[in-house]
Amino acid sequence: MGANIKALKTRIRSVDSTLHLTRAMGLVASSKIRRANEAMNGGKQYAAAFGSVVDLLTACPECAHSPYMKEPEGERTCLIVIAGDRGLAGGYNANVFRLVAELPHDRIVPIGKRACDRYKGEFFSSEVFNGAQATDMARKLCAAYVAGEFDKLGIVSTKYVSMMTQEAMVTWVLPLERTEQAEKVAAVFEPDEESILNTAVPDYVAGILMRCVRESFASEVAARRMAMDSAGKNAQSMIDNLQLQYNRARQGAITQEITEIVAGAGE
Amino acid sequence: MRTFLLNISSPDGKLFSGEAVMITLRGIEGDLAVMAGHIPFITSVVPCEVKITLPDGTEKVGHADGGLLTVAADGVTLLGSFHW
Repeated sequence: MGANIKALKTRIRSVDSTLHLTRAMGLVASSKIRRANEAMNGGKQYAAAFGSVVDLLTACPECAHSPYMKEPEGERTCLIVIAGDRGLAGGYNANVFRLVAELPHDRIVPIGKRACDRYKGEFFSSEVFNGAQATDMARKLCAAYVAGEFDKLGIVSTKYVSMMTQEAMVTWVLPLERTEQAEKVAAVFEPDEESILNTAVPDYVAGILMRCVRESFASEVAARRMAMDSAGKNAQSMIDNLQLQYNRARQGAITQEITEIVAGAGE
Repeated sequence: MRTFLLNISSPDGKLFSGEAVMITLRGIEGDLAVMAGHIPFITSVVPCEVKITLPDGTEKVGHADGGLLTVAADGVTLLGSFHW
């Protein structure tokens, strides 16, 4: 009985330290959420502003011959995969990797330590990914696209639905989709629509990439907070159970001792 | 002095939003300046120094590393890699 009590005590202590750990990680995630959300909104604004100009350009018939708008000849797909730098965020990383496995992919550009480890690419942290890195990456990928190295470019990231829900999604970036514009825009294009489009696309892709990275990071911290919350709850209920068992065992031991003493005294 | 609404955004976020008197930068076909009342206009920006004249007469100088300048009736927007 004594050994059992000791084992229970050790287990309670170990679960308790796990509880502390999950609490600390949950707090760190909570403190990052606000900043991550602000960054996400900034990224969304930029991508939306750029998107409206690009929509305007793709609607112009003059842009139909742009290399970014040609019909893809093959099915060679390049995917930018955005996952987290760390684990312990519920299904966050796993959902992204599952979606990648379902999609065709001939070339993968990973962002985030988990993705870089898995797909063996140059390391980019998803937490501190910045505009300069995004622009650099987008320019390289756009040049490769124009050179015909692949036919489709997509970004696999996580959509931030709310604090509780995040879902993995894919955004197809290239080739650009033609938008239907009812009215012709009365603006002067210098030098012409197609050249502007061709020079703007890398920056546009950088904007979308940045938006996806920011949104994924916001999803990651939200997912981690949720995961740590529920892990904390589980740990607490486990401690409660163990504590009950421990008390029972302790009480059992006392009762037994008393019975033994009484039995000894009665002889 | 007439002013116009100027917005400058980079992938890192919004860097400037407010009234300005003039913005000078280098478009793909040469240097240009935009003041209030400019016709709607879209051009590519090449790497250059960007000068903004504020309503109080001060000048702010930044650097654009390419991007897109959009002049519309409701304001001027510079999108691209930009830093002060």
